[in-house]
Amino acid sequence: MPGFRPFTGSERRPPRAGQVVLPPVSSELAHDDQLRTLARLSDPALSEMGLEEFLNELLLRVRDALSVDTVAILLYDEEANQLVARAATGIEEEVERGVRLPIGHGFAGRIAAERVAIFIQDVDHADILNPILLEKGVRSLLGVPLIVEGHLIGVLHVGSLKPRTFGDRDLAVLQAAAGRAAPGIERARLVSAFEHEHRVAMLLQRSLLPQRLVEFSGFSAAARYLPATDEVGGDWYDVFELSHGRLGVAIGDVVGHGLRAAALMGQLRTALHAYALEDHSPARTLELVDRFVQTMPDSPMATAAYAVLNPDTGRLTLASAGHLPPLVIGNAGARTLEVTPAPPLGAVPYSTCTEREIQLGSGEVLLLYTDGLVERPDVRLSQSIELLCDVVGSARSAEEACRRAFDELVPAEGPRDDVAVIALKNAEIPEQLRLTLPADPRVLADVRRALRRWLRVRGAGDQDVMEITLAVSEACTNAVEHAYSPAPAQFSVDASAENGDIRIVVRDVGQWRTPRGTNRGRGLKIMESAMDEVSVDAAPSGTEIVMKRRLNR
Amino acid sequence: MRLADIQMSDAGRVVVARLTGELDLSNTGNIGAVLAEAVPNSAHALVVDLSEVDYLDSAGIHLIYELRERLRTRGQALRLVIPADAPAHDALRLAGVSGHVATSHSVDAALAELDGS
Repeated sequence: MPGFRPFTGSERRPPRAGQVVLPPVSSELAHDDQLRTLARLSDPALSEMGLEEFLNELLLRVRDALSVDTVAILLYDEEANQLVARAATGIEEEVERGVRLPIGHGFAGRIAAERVAIFIQDVDHADILNPILLEKGVRSLLGVPLIVEGHLIGVLHVGSLKPRTFGDRDLAVLQAAAGRAAPGIERARLVSAFEHEHRVAMLLQRSLLPQRLVEFSGFSAAARYLPATDEVGGDWYDVFELSHGRLGVAIGDVVGHGLRAAALMGQLRTALHAYALEDHSPARTLELVDRFVQTMPDSPMATAAYAVLNPDTGRLTLASAGHLPPLVIGNAGARTLEVTPAPPLGAVPYSTCTEREIQLGSGEVLLLYTDGLVERPDVRLSQSIELLCDVVGSARSAEEACRRAFDELVPAEGPRDDVAVIALKNAEIPEQLRLTLPADPRVLADVRRALRRWLRVRGAGDQDVMEITLAVSEACTNAVEHAYSPAPAQFSVDASAENGDIRIVVRDVGQWRTPRGTNRGRGLKIMESAMDEVSVDAAPSGTEIVMKRRLNR
Repeated sequence: MRLADIQMSDAGRVVVARLTGELDLSNTGNIGAVLAEAVPNSAHALVVDLSEVDYLDSAGIHLIYELRERLRTRGQALRLVIPADAPAHDALRLAGVSGHVATSHSVDAALAELDGS
């Protein structure tokens, strides 16, 4: 039979065109020097290599040991039930073109299906499916399956550009190479698949967390997230602006790890954020997220805490669904904010959440965290939380609270579980308010917010706050509208109080313009109606508006 | 979150726009344009509900005057909804324009007044 080399020995399967199935041979047939070449394939050092490096090393060693022209490794893709060219020397195109071969047909496909060694003396007369072997002029082929613990993981084959008979000795070498390399390939492949998932999960996690914390006058926020050393989890935090100038801050932890937990985290974070924007109370917001979780397949679970802050008054309303108690850090150190516990999200049908309202004092910091920060083997949770209180007790800013918590409580080698922390500080309200701002209409709301906070502390009533804020915002609007200078223009607001007398000065570098039309006239009218005294000093270098009003007049 | 938001609804041949949040120089331009666009030629009036507006100043008053003028040229009426305890009420009072704009205490009252007119 042309191209068919009768093989002496018991052939276990009937030959197909040009293919000879070879029974296994003893490795003793191989030359010692050939085996030495392959010895390093099972070195522990080799298993430290990435899959790519490992496969290339294998190719070169097999090529040298057998003096062949081509070596190829195809890995088994279980889902597609195909062999995928993964590494090759002499026939690199096979990998570049991403050759995929069916199991059961052709040379490599049959090796994989029947888990036998196959020899082809002359490819012209054999059943070859891979066009690249023919294009490259490969004449003779020998291939063996790669098997780990009874599972097929791929095929290793060598080729010669000149007709060549691969004998028992060659088979012994190739068999030995396959035997030694297969576990390494499998390990490297698992590591690489795992690393891939880890990278994807990290990317997902990063893309789902806020890229930038909202800047909010009167409050400063800081946050940290660190994935576990070996796996990404489902921790999240969020901070956003709500209607009526309020601020929402949330933290959560999806039970589980990996890509699925990260994806679920993204859904829950979005759901909470969206329900919160609908102006639901913190408790109702968590209940709605719970109902949302209840509709999801696979019954996921998560814990979460959500707080709404009113920056004008410092009132904080907090609800928790099975989450660890937040901390409030003040002058007397840190204390936990216990909330009547509700079950975790997704745990119980129709669970109800309760709320707690507290006053977040001027200069105090609210700290929310996930269990990865405090859970330690062999340490009671309450002890860990006490330790956290000690560690962050002296923090004077949101940033410092996050830094201290991470520096002191996250192990140097990385956390065992992922860790998220978010801190929010209610800025100290100064005796005198001094703001310098860009002449941009978007800062007007910030001025009003800062002024309202300051006025409340000075003992202003609702009507005082409303009318003074209106007058000052009018003066600032004027500064913004009329600011014109080559450099980015600025204006300033200075507010002081003495014995219930409020004095506010708004300065800009633009020129005061005599009110044109009815609109600007209304601004000045509002200032004059709202304040006891208004004086406008318009100089070429800039305009100064001084306004006075007695509180609770 | 944006400083303010708009919710539109139709009540027969009247368009009702409910504003929420704070209106100042930073957003009155956009809001004015959206409101004017929202009224089709077939409508005969626009009701702007300011009950839930937390803050309004001369920029907001300017918006109201401009809007009223724009609608007037199209033969359409503008009516504001401002309850006595709304911040917008104080702003109009302090600006001395309270009596200058057609105002109702509720959306229903505004629709009834428009029906009667």
